[in-house]
Amino acid sequence: MVEVTIDGQKIEVEKGTTALEAARSLGIEIPTLCYHEGLPPDGNCRLCQVEVTDARGRTNLVISCMYPIKGPVEIRTDTERVRDARAFVVKLLLARSPHSPVLQHLAEEYGVEPLDARFVPEDETDLCIRCGRCVRACATLGNNCIEFVWRGWEKEVNTPFKEPSNSCIGCGACAQVCPTGAIRVTEDETTRTIWDRTFDLVACERCGVRFATPEQLKVVSPEFKPVDGRVLCPRCRKLEEARAVASGLGAQEEN
Amino acid sequence: MRFETIKDLEEYRQGLLASAPDIPHVWVCAGPGCLANGSMEIYEGFMKYADEHDLKADIDLKAEATGCQGFCERGPLVTVRLSKDANEIFYQRVRPKDVPEIIEKTILGGNVVDRLLYRDQATKSKIASTSAIPFYSHQKKIVLRNCGQINPLSLDEALAADAYAGLAKALSMEPAEVIAVVKDSGLRGRGGGGFPTGVKWESAAVVDAPQKYVVVNGDEGDPGAFMDRAVMEGDPHTMLEGLAIGGYAIGATRGLIYVRNEYPIAVDHLRIAIEQAHECGLLGKNILGSGFDFEIEIVRGGGAFVCGESTSLMTSIEGRAGVPRVKYIRSTEKGLWEGPTVLNNVESWANIPQILLNGAEWFKSMGTENNSGTKVFSLVGKVKNSGLVEVPMGVTLREMIYEIGGGVLNDREFKAVQTGGPSGGCLPASELDRPVDFDQLKAAGSMMGSGGMIVMDDHTCMVNVAQYFVDFLVEESCGKCTPCREGLKAMQTLLHGLTSGTAKPGDCAMLKEIAEHVRDTALCGLGKTAANPVLATMNWFPEEYEEHEKEGFCRGGVCSGLYALEIDPDLCTGCTLCERVCPAGAVSGEKKKPHTIDKHACVTCGSCIDACRFKAIKVVRRSE
Repeated sequence: MVEVTIDGQKIEVEKGTTALEAARSLGIEIPTLCYHEGLPPDGNCRLCQVEVTDARGRTNLVISCMYPIKGPVEIRTDTERVRDARAFVVKLLLARSPHSPVLQHLAEEYGVEPLDARFVPEDETDLCIRCGRCVRACATLGNNCIEFVWRGWEKEVNTPFKEPSNSCIGCGACAQVCPTGAIRVTEDETTRTIWDRTFDLVACERCGVRFATPEQLKVVSPEFKPVDGRVLCPRCRKLEEARAVASGLGAQEEN
Repeated sequence: MRFETIKDLEEYRQGLLASAPDIPHVWVCAGPGCLANGSMEIYEGFMKYADEHDLKADIDLKAEATGCQGFCERGPLVTVRLSKDANEIFYQRVRPKDVPEIIEKTILGGNVVDRLLYRDQATKSKIASTSAIPFYSHQKKIVLRNCGQINPLSLDEALAADAYAGLAKALSMEPAEVIAVVKDSGLRGRGGGGFPTGVKWESAAVVDAPQKYVVVNGDEGDPGAFMDRAVMEGDPHTMLEGLAIGGYAIGATRGLIYVRNEYPIAVDHLRIAIEQAHECGLLGKNILGSGFDFEIEIVRGGGAFVCGESTSLMTSIEGRAGVPRVKYIRSTEKGLWEGPTVLNNVESWANIPQILLNGAEWFKSMGTENNSGTKVFSLVGKVKNSGLVEVPMGVTLREMIYEIGGGVLNDREFKAVQTGGPSGGCLPASELDRPVDFDQLKAAGSMMGSGGMIVMDDHTCMVNVAQYFVDFLVEESCGKCTPCREGLKAMQTLLHGLTSGTAKPGDCAMLKEIAEHVRDTALCGLGKTAANPVLATMNWFPEEYEEHEKEGFCRGGVCSGLYALEIDPDLCTGCTLCERVCPAGAVSGEKKKPHTIDKHACVTCGSCIDACRFKAIKVVRRSE
């Protein structure tokens, strides 16, 4: 265990705990974009910067989502330098995606004056900040169907050859983790469209809600094997299970 | 032939030295520059002539194609030595048709071919001996000592030049002793960062892990740099030897060489050298009976600038797209495939064998305090003698540019020298007496980098220079982190505004602010230093930025439309050169009388500035 000071408060943490985890455990909020608790960190958006002073008295800006606490350091999350660095990141991202509510909100919080029209790209509807949460989600939960393509300013997330992916299961995890809502998922009564591919939706045989694609069910089985011969949505499944348990323990009370 | 012990190797080496015949020796430079100028044809010319005239390879002459001899400006180069004790004769700008004359006059006749000799610009006299030419006499070669001196495809020649003697010595020491020697020598990473090599080795050596790695960074992506290429092409065994010593020192049994695929000759020569070393037991299992196993493999890179960054390079070796990772855990702890990894640049590795062989004190006797040894530079740009040079640390920029480089091309005025490639900066004339080493260049706001040195004359716009590098970096940024991806693009927009005359008031201040933020917040070393070209030029040439922003004036005469040209009647001799190169027909005048430029017809391309030999073309402000 290591004792560290965060914004004046002392806390003992396990060696290797990140500055972000330590700060959050004290209830100190640090803004993040590319960081997601369920995914491996990547440290690319540079928003979560904090100042760290080590035992030798050297102070550096670090990104809190990946900075591992190894010794008794002092962390400051709200200095002028930190706010300035975060404001810079927000300013750049906002120029790329001027219509993003998430970024607009951050800009307001950090008092960011937007860059002028010269810095706004032709397609100003782009909400993607190239943080790769979707890519990491697909690599972790899905089938590795999307990746970064091109590099530098031209970098974007796409399917191979920008064609509808055969291996995509339409689970929508990528859209779920996207911090700016850049990934478009459209659903109508019976289908879901994502990454230019349209999937059928399977209806729950109890409540009738269309809840998943057949490809998705195939990947997540065996948990989703039919209950009593019926395909159920997660909610009905729980209800059915609860009912079964209840009937076993004492059906009379339930009635 | 297989060397089972150190004694085997030394006996073989002594045998090679004793049996070497004392015959005339011809070295034809086959470095990149000379090769492009047809040096292979010259080499083949020697072989053909010898064949046709019944000259015996072991008795009459030995002709060889070598790696880069350095003086690229004067290539193709041919060096001749008549006997072991004779001085080398240096022939420059040799053409294939000169071969018979060189053989007949010099090799068979013992006389020099006067017209192929180098003519010293300062003294106007011709110099026959290589060591008397200022370009070479100011150099001190350790890394390049065999480049241009041996046939890179011959293991025997490398062995005769002490190859693997350093490894033999290292294997008879404890690994910790080897590290101590490297640490004592003060060798600092030649890739640009200048991190102490011995310290890096030590931090990997102390980690307990089933598999460790040593890696060569041969990605050399700086525009205009060719130092590492010369070493890999011209003397591959030295680098392999250095790598094996590193492997032994830290306990790694695997070495990887990351070379860009644009260097096919380097890849070939390395591959052949690895095979040769393997065959005779200098690589592989139980090297020289020491019990140390070591294998080397080559990984070819796709030529992305960012793959020169250590973590990107390792990611690329692992088979993924080359993007850097956050470095809070050092590669010496967890690097390639999560194993402790020591990654050094080609030049660093090539220094190692000589350090082991001659000792730390010997290495420290060269260079300056905290900056021992030598550094290889590719001296290019507007300099008379461009080429590859190796000098002790601490020589001044003035010595580099004026003594070795022979001064600015066409005797124009010196304006700046750019060091460190796209991560470095430009230094002005007032800094010419600054010694060249890691700390001095950093203190002046530039950096050593891997050793690119670009000389610029007064017909250079510093805003344009910054724009050139930022354009390059926008193209090469991997796009992983926000500051580098978006920040560089914003800097590019501002710079293009300045150089096209469309800048808004306050743009320079905004440019500086963005550049400083990119420096402070980017993820990897390349991103952090990407702002250097802008910050350094702004620091030393603020007036040029101001003139571009406020007046739309480019004093360098580079940014089209932002200046006007005039001919100084006192300097113009009426040679008509400017008239002939002008694409717009804007220059007129009588022969041998001062010419004039029609400002309305002039398209400000600047061709006349370069053409004029009398510095008569003046860059002036536009008069609206």
